[in-house]
Amino acid sequence: MKNKGKEPNRKSKQSLKNIALLIIAAELVLVSLSLYDSVLAWVLLLVGCGTVIRVAIYANFYNHLPSIRTLNLLAILSVLGLIYSGLTLGFLLGMVNLLVLACALKLMQVRSQRDVYQLILSLFFLIGCGFIFNQSIGLSIFYFLMSLILLLSLAFYHAPSINLKIQLKTVTILSLQALPIGLLLFLVLPQLPPLWQTPKSKSTKTGLSEQITPGDIAALSQSSKLAFRATFLGAVPIARERYWRAIVMENFDGKTWSIAPHRKQLRSKQALFEQEFSPTLTGTYIDYDVIAEPTHQKWLFALDLAIPRDYTSDNNIWQSDDFRLINEQKLVSKYPYKLRSYTQALSKQVFSKTDQQLNLMVPKFGNKKTKEWVKTLRNNNPSNSEFVQALLLYFTQQSFVYTLRPDVMLVDPIDKFLFDKQAGFCSHYASALAYSLRLGDVPARIVTGYQGGELVQENNQAPYLSVYQYDAHAWVEAWTDNQGWHRLDPTALVSPDRINFGLRQAMLEEGSFLADSPFSLARLTNIAWLNSVRLFLADLDYDWSRWVLGFNQQKQQDLFKAILGKLTSDRMSLLGFTIVVIIGLLLTLFFLPHWLNRRLDKTQRYYLQALNLFEKNGTCRANWQGPNDFSQQVTQQYCEKVSQPFTQITQCYLHLKYQNKALISDNRSNTRQNHKMMNKNLRAMKKALTSAN
Amino acid sequence: MTLLQDYLDKWLDKRIPAADRHTLNHQNIFIFPAKFGGVFLLLCMLLFLLGTNYQNNLMLILCYFLLGIFLVNLLASYINFARINVKIGKCPEVFVKDNLHIPLWLNANSHGSLTLNGLLDFKFQTRQTKKQQKLTPDSITQVDVNDFSNPINISHRCKDRGKLVLSRLTISSVYPLGLYRCWTHLAFSHEIIVFPSPLPCEIELHKHQQPTSKKGTKIHDQQTGHDDFSHLKAYQVGEPLYHVAWKQLAKGRGMVSKQFSTLSSQIGWLRLSSSHQGGSEITTAQKLETELSKLSFQVIELSRTGQTFGLDLGQTCIVPNNGSSHRLVCLKALALYDNRSASL
Repeated sequence: MKNKGKEPNRKSKQSLKNIALLIIAAELVLVSLSLYDSVLAWVLLLVGCGTVIRVAIYANFYNHLPSIRTLNLLAILSVLGLIYSGLTLGFLLGMVNLLVLACALKLMQVRSQRDVYQLILSLFFLIGCGFIFNQSIGLSIFYFLMSLILLLSLAFYHAPSINLKIQLKTVTILSLQALPIGLLLFLVLPQLPPLWQTPKSKSTKTGLSEQITPGDIAALSQSSKLAFRATFLGAVPIARERYWRAIVMENFDGKTWSIAPHRKQLRSKQALFEQEFSPTLTGTYIDYDVIAEPTHQKWLFALDLAIPRDYTSDNNIWQSDDFRLINEQKLVSKYPYKLRSYTQALSKQVFSKTDQQLNLMVPKFGNKKTKEWVKTLRNNNPSNSEFVQALLLYFTQQSFVYTLRPDVMLVDPIDKFLFDKQAGFCSHYASALAYSLRLGDVPARIVTGYQGGELVQENNQAPYLSVYQYDAHAWVEAWTDNQGWHRLDPTALVSPDRINFGLRQAMLEEGSFLADSPFSLARLTNIAWLNSVRLFLADLDYDWSRWVLGFNQQKQQDLFKAILGKLTSDRMSLLGFTIVVIIGLLLTLFFLPHWLNRRLDKTQRYYLQALNLFEKNGTCRANWQGPNDFSQQVTQQYCEKVSQPFTQITQCYLHLKYQNKALISDNRSNTRQNHKMMNKNLRAMKKALTSAN
Repeated sequence: MTLLQDYLDKWLDKRIPAADRHTLNHQNIFIFPAKFGGVFLLLCMLLFLLGTNYQNNLMLILCYFLLGIFLVNLLASYINFARINVKIGKCPEVFVKDNLHIPLWLNANSHGSLTLNGLLDFKFQTRQTKKQQKLTPDSITQVDVNDFSNPINISHRCKDRGKLVLSRLTISSVYPLGLYRCWTHLAFSHEIIVFPSPLPCEIELHKHQQPTSKKGTKIHDQQTGHDDFSHLKAYQVGEPLYHVAWKQLAKGRGMVSKQFSTLSSQIGWLRLSSSHQGGSEITTAQKLETELSKLSFQVIELSRTGQTFGLDLGQTCIVPNNGSSHRLVCLKALALYDNRSASL
C-alpha cells in the first residue's frame, strides 16, 4: 500500500520524467526501423507518435498522457487494421507487426512500473524476432547493442539519479560478466531440433527465377549479393568445371523456358509414396559443404550430380529425377548442407521415356528460319555427335558477341538471335542451342544455376568459394546414346573469358559489369585496398555463417568429441558437472574483489598491520591514545628507522580518515597514492624492526 | 497463521537482534528474484523456444546472454545491498497521534570507494489483517541513495502512550536491474517514549501534595500578568533560553536572562484527579487518558513559563522543580502511568 502523500515523490523519481522512457522510445524506433521490410508503414507511424509523445513529456512541452479511453479506441482500430492487412501478411509477419504495435501503444500510455517492465520485455522479444529476419554480422551487433541499451534503460529506471557514465560502466561490467556464461551455455546446452513446425515469413524470392525468357530482356540486372558459399574438403575443381546446377527447364513455348509441369507432378507423386529417385553413382567425387543464403525457394545448388553427404542433409534434401536437389523447406535463413558430387556420373544415368518425351518437345509454330537451318544441318550430319559439333561450330564461326545489353527480340526470338542480332548473354545462347538440338531430334534442356565463384584459399584453412548473384548462368544439357547426359555451354565458345575468369573479366571492354550499382565494392576490385577490404568482409561473413549461424548439433558433438575424446555418458555427465563448476567459479571470480574489499578497507588494514608489528615488539597502543599520541610514543621509544615510516603511516591514516572529503579534489588517485606510500613505509618499518631484533 | 508468524518473529529476533546500528551482510540480507525477475526468466524460456524452433543460433545466444545477466545480477544486487549501514539517530519527543520522524543515518561514515546505488524502500512491518491495512495504509518511504541527505526521516504514527513498540523496519531494493529484490528486517534498540497528547485546559495547581480537602486549597491560576517583567539577572546554565534577553546580548552586555515577578511565588502540585474512576471500564480508561492528556498540557505550559511544580500521580510522585529535565521526567511519568495498577 502506498501512502498518497508520498505518491508524487515516487512518481517523479521513477516514472514519466525518467530518462529510461526516452531511451526505450529511441530503442523502439531503431528496432522497428531495422525491421523496415517486415513492419507496415502505418505501424511505424504509430511508433513515431509514441516517441513524440514521450519526448514532449520529457522536455516538458506537454504534460498530459493520452487518456486510457483514447488509447483503447486507437488499439481497437489498429488491431482491426492489422487483421485487415494481416490476411496478406501471413502469421509470422502479422505477429511481429502486432508486437511492434503493442509496444507503440504501450509507450504512449506508460504510467506505472508494470508498464515499463512490460515494454522492456516486449522489446527484448522483438529483438529476438529481429534475428529471424536479419542475421548478418552488422545487424547482429546492432541487435546486441540494442539489448545492452535496453539493460541501460532498466538500470536508469532503477537508479534515476546516477549519471550516464556510471550507468554505462555498470551495464558494461554486468554484460561482460554475463557474456562468458552465456557463450558457455550456448556451446554446451543441447542443440535441439525444432519442437514444432513454425510459420515462415513470406518474402520476395531472390536469386534465380524459375523461368527465363531471353528475348524480353534488354539488360541483365546484376547484383553483387552473395548467393552461397562452398567449402571444399579436398581439391577444388578448376574454374571452367564449376557449374552449379540449380534449376532444370524442360518446357519451351517458343519464347520462354520453364520447369516442366510434368516433373512437378511426378515429384509430388514420388513424395507421396516416398520413392526417392536414386541416381547411379560412379567415378570420382568431390566433398564439400554449402552455406546457402536465404532464397525463399526450395531448390539447392550442387556441382553436377550430387547426393547429400550426412544424415541431416539426407533427411531434408529430396533428390529429383532431373538430378536437382530440393529442400524440404524454403530457405528463409542461411542454410548449411553437405554434399558429395560425382563429376562424371551424369553421363551414366538411365534415360527414361519421360525424359525423352520432355526433352524433345518443340512448339509447332514460330522460328521458321531456325527450323529450316537445322533441317539442312541434320541432313548433312546423320550422326548425333557430328550434328552437335556442326551446331557448335556455327557459334564459333559466326561473329557472335557476348553482351549484357542485347537488343530486345520479341517475335521469333531464336531466329532473330541466330541470324540477325547475334549478340546476347548466356540464356540467349543456351536457349538457341537447346531449341536447335531438339529440332534435330537430340534431347536437350536448359539448366540454370551459377558458374564460377571467387576462390579464397588460405594456408591453414579449407578453401572456400564465394558465389555471387552475378555468377548466375544458363547452359544446355543434351543426351546422346554414347555420351549420355552431357553439358554443352555455347557461352564458353563465344566468350571463353566468362567461363575461365568470370563475368568481370568478360565484360571488361563493354563496362557493363554491375553497371546498375557503380559503387558496389565488387565493381571496384582494381583498387587494391578496397578489394582487400571486400575480401576481408567476405572472409568475416564466411566465418560468421560457418561458425556462429551454422553451429548445430553436429558441430556441437564434434566439439564435445574434441574435448572429451569419446562420447560416453560418464564423460558427458562429467562435462556437465565441469560446466556448472566453471560457471560457479566465474561467479565467485566476479564476487571476489568485493569480498576482499569489504573485509577491511585498505587504510585501516595498513594501519592495523603497523600496530600489530609494534605489539609483537611489546609496544601496545592504549585505548585512550590517539594515533598522534601513539606516534609520539613510538618516536621516543624507537630509533629513527622505525619511527619515521610510522609517523608517515600515521599521517596518511589521519589524512585519509579524518580530512574533510569535500576538500580533496581528486579523491581516488589521492587515496591510491596514499595507500602506496603506506605500503612502502610499512615494509621499511618491518625491515627495520626485524634487523633491530 | 499466527503460530508461524510467532515462529518467524522468534527466528528473526535470533538472527537479527535489535541494535542501534546495523551493517548489512549475509546474516541479515534476504534475496529472491523479484516478480519482474520471474517474468524475465519466462522471456528467456520463450526466446529459447523460438530460437530452437527457428534453429536460430543468434536468438539462442541472446537467450543465454540474458540468462547470464540474470545470474550475475544475483551478485550485483547483493553486493550493492551489502553496502548499507544504518544507524538510528536521536528522536525528537513525540506525543500520541503524532507522526514520529525517526531519523536514520545511512552510510554516514562510509568510505568513498564503496558507493551504494539505487532506490531504497523503507517500510515498517505491519501486523494487520488486510481489512485493517486498507484503513490505515502504512507508508513506504523511498530514498534515492544517489541523491539524498542524511538523516532519512521515516515517519511512524504513534498510537499509544508509553514505551514505543517499534516494529521491524524493512529496507528493500531492486537495484541494479530490478531482477532481484534484496531486503532485510531490522530491529532498532531505542528509548523512545510516547507522551500523552496535550489537551488544552485550565491549569490547576494544588498547594499540597496530598489531597486534604476537595478543591478548597487549590490555587486558581490567574496568571494574567505572569510574564510581567521585573528585572535582569546574569544567565545561569539551565535557565530556559527563551528568558535570555537577546537584545542585551546583541548589544554586547553578555548573557542576561529576564526575570518575571509573578512566577516565582507560585509553587504547586499537578495532581491526577480521581474523577475518572467509576463508570464502566472503557469509559474509565478513556477518562484516564483525557486526564493524562490534560496533565501533559499543563506540564508543558508550566515548563514553558518556567514555573516550579510537582507532579502527583498517586503511584509516583515527582517533587517540585523546574527546567527542561524536570519537564521530561514529568512527561515520562505521565506516559508510563500504568492505568491497570491505578484502578486496582
